[in-house]
Amino acid sequence: MNDKKLIIDIENISKLYRMGVETVYALRDITLQIHENEYVAIMGPSGSGKSTLMNILGCLDTPSGGKYLFGGEDVSVMDDDDLADIRNRKIGFVFQTFNLLARATAIKNVELPLVYSGRPSGQRHETAKQALIDVGLEDRITHKPNELSGGQRQRVAIARALVTNPSIILADEPTGNLDSKTGEEIITLFRDLWHKGNTIILVTHEEEIARHANRIIRLRDGLIERDEINQQSNLN
Amino acid sequence: MTFVEFKETIVIAIDAMKGNKLRSLLASLGVVIGISTVILMGWVLTGLQTAMDETFRMIGVDILYIDKWDWAGGKNWKLVRQRKDITFEQADIMMERLNNAELIFPTARDWGGSIKYENLIFNGITIIGTTSNHGLTSAGETIEGRYFTPFEESIHSKVVVLGHKVYTTIFPDGNALNQTIKINGHKFLVIGVIRKQGTMFFDFIDNQVFIPVGSFVGMYGRHNRSISIGIKAGSEEMLDEVREEARGIMRSIRNVDPKDEDDFSINETKAFENQVATLKLYVWGIGIGMTVLSFIVGIIGIMNIMFVSVTERTKEIGIRMAIGAKRRSILFQFIVESSTLCFTGAIISLIICSGITFAVATILPKFVEEAGFLTPFLPFQLLVIASIVSIFVGVLSGIIPAIRASKLNPIDALRFE
Ligand SMILES: Nc1ncnc2c1ncn2[C@@H]1O[C@H](COP(=O)(O)OP(=O)(O)OP(=O)(O)O)[C@@H](O)[C@H]1O
Ligand SMILES: [Mg+2]
Repeated sequence: MNDKKLIIDIENISKLYRMGVETVYALRDITLQIHENEYVAIMGPSGSGKSTLMNILGCLDTPSGGKYLFGGEDVSVMDDDDLADIRNRKIGFVFQTFNLLARATAIKNVELPLVYSGRPSGQRHETAKQALIDVGLEDRITHKPNELSGGQRQRVAIARALVTNPSIILADEPTGNLDSKTGEEIITLFRDLWHKGNTIILVTHEEEIARHANRIIRLRDGLIERDEINQQSNLN
Repeated sequence: MTFVEFKETIVIAIDAMKGNKLRSLLASLGVVIGISTVILMGWVLTGLQTAMDETFRMIGVDILYIDKWDWAGGKNWKLVRQRKDITFEQADIMMERLNNAELIFPTARDWGGSIKYENLIFNGITIIGTTSNHGLTSAGETIEGRYFTPFEESIHSKVVVLGHKVYTTIFPDGNALNQTIKINGHKFLVIGVIRKQGTMFFDFIDNQVFIPVGSFVGMYGRHNRSISIGIKAGSEEMLDEVREEARGIMRSIRNVDPKDEDDFSINETKAFENQVATLKLYVWGIGIGMTVLSFIVGIIGIMNIMFVSVTERTKEIGIRMAIGAKRRSILFQFIVESSTLCFTGAIISLIICSGITFAVATILPKFVEEAGFLTPFLPFQLLVIASIVSIFVGVLSGIIPAIRASKLNPIDALRFE
């Protein structure tokens, strides 16, 4: 099926939490490959390990066992600085709760990843502005998060995820805090990004949203229950 | 760490501070007190030092006085009192034999002279009889008129050169030249005024008048007091050589047995420097004690605020880490924040202290003449020291909270509410 470049390659990944005497298996044994320009939806009941998996894929968290290659590089042997670097340049993360800096304007929020990659401020401003234009927020550039609607905040967060031109965009329930109409707009935005060639992994509870993806992975109790191509994907 | 990130971090730090003005202000209070102590202390000491250096320079750092009395006062007072007087004859021999000195001038003093001008009487003025050579030293520089000449000296002229304080006391309106004053009942013509020499508690040295030595002897007699022999070495480098030569000559004139100590003292402005050094030590001691104390309070205060700040902003730290901030970037961010906080404290101190020094230096001397040595501005090196110290304190108090912030796990930090 795939002659495209392999971006994510995980093998037998597990994650466990020790809570006193009890051990919680958030992920048991996950093996998964994701290629360039795929649009993957991850579904599953609450507590099935979706966020845990996303955090590991996004290099925010480390697995308890298994192997993770990102773009061919072994992530499990990397130190904190290398991981920070990967998060900065290769991964765009979109959170359910937006996670914007409250005191910073939209453009400052979007510029932040570029600050940490050491881009000079003039260039930074231009790139960030373009990212905001790309998500349809050209008239909200100097607004602060509390001066924006939920949908607009999520657009800022998406612009921030896009601004470094990452290999992959990870979104953990990006519409979870939005009403259905706004949620739909965000989903349309993701579809446009996918059309432009981006690779997207998106966690959702809603079949309606998952329908847009061209591949759906269902988790249950830390295991992949089903991993299938979405034939009736309305992307095409 | 790139330069871009460095610049941006400082902007972030200033933003964070602005976000919580009152707390930042309170946090930097300890530092403000500490820095202010250092600055004010430094200011007083610098003023003191400058004033003293000035006084010594005016008196002449290369001038020795051979005296019966010891200026520094370290010697056994009873023994000193038993010393034989130093006489004009000894001064004459000294003038013949001493080769290395530039100038020699015998100096006879009456510590409690009185001067009458018109109907006013001024007591407690030092009357000094000396030679025109004294007028060639820095201590004899006139700001008005002139010193008496060798000719006036040779004919025992009744002319007088006023010390600055005598001048301002007797002639508050100026116009002293060519006035006649009475010294111990004898009429003298004022021909000059000496430049002000003493500052602070040294200004007694301006409370004196100079007359030709012959006139002095005419009034007081020749043998009823110990005189001192002033010697101008010519330069500070020559001082040691001239002092040794003069000592040898003096011992031989006074037949001092080789086993015995000198039965005279060789005084110079350096004698005061030890006393001044002790004084400075006390001031520094108190100052440093206060400074250390307020810095400890300041460091604890700022460290506390930084801990609170790190906890409050755990989520922000998580966000920054999630989008690529390295641990050292976070570490640096919080150290820069605490340093900025302290540096702001330093700037506040500088503003406060500038106000204080200006006010004190312009107002206080009007009431307390001795305070005249204070400058109305802060010395530049103090500003530099204060800034450096404040940044150092900032780093010191920020480092532990910053380490804690940088050790956070991105995922835990993000989850923090
Ligand atoms: N820090 C943690 N400590 C202990 N257990 C944890 C921790 N994080 C997650 N878990 C456990 O791991 C399991 C998977 O959690 P995860 O957040 O991945 O679920 P999820 O699929 O994202 O659920 P939801 O749809 O509610 O977001 C859960 O049982 C949870 O209790
Ligand atoms: Mg979740």
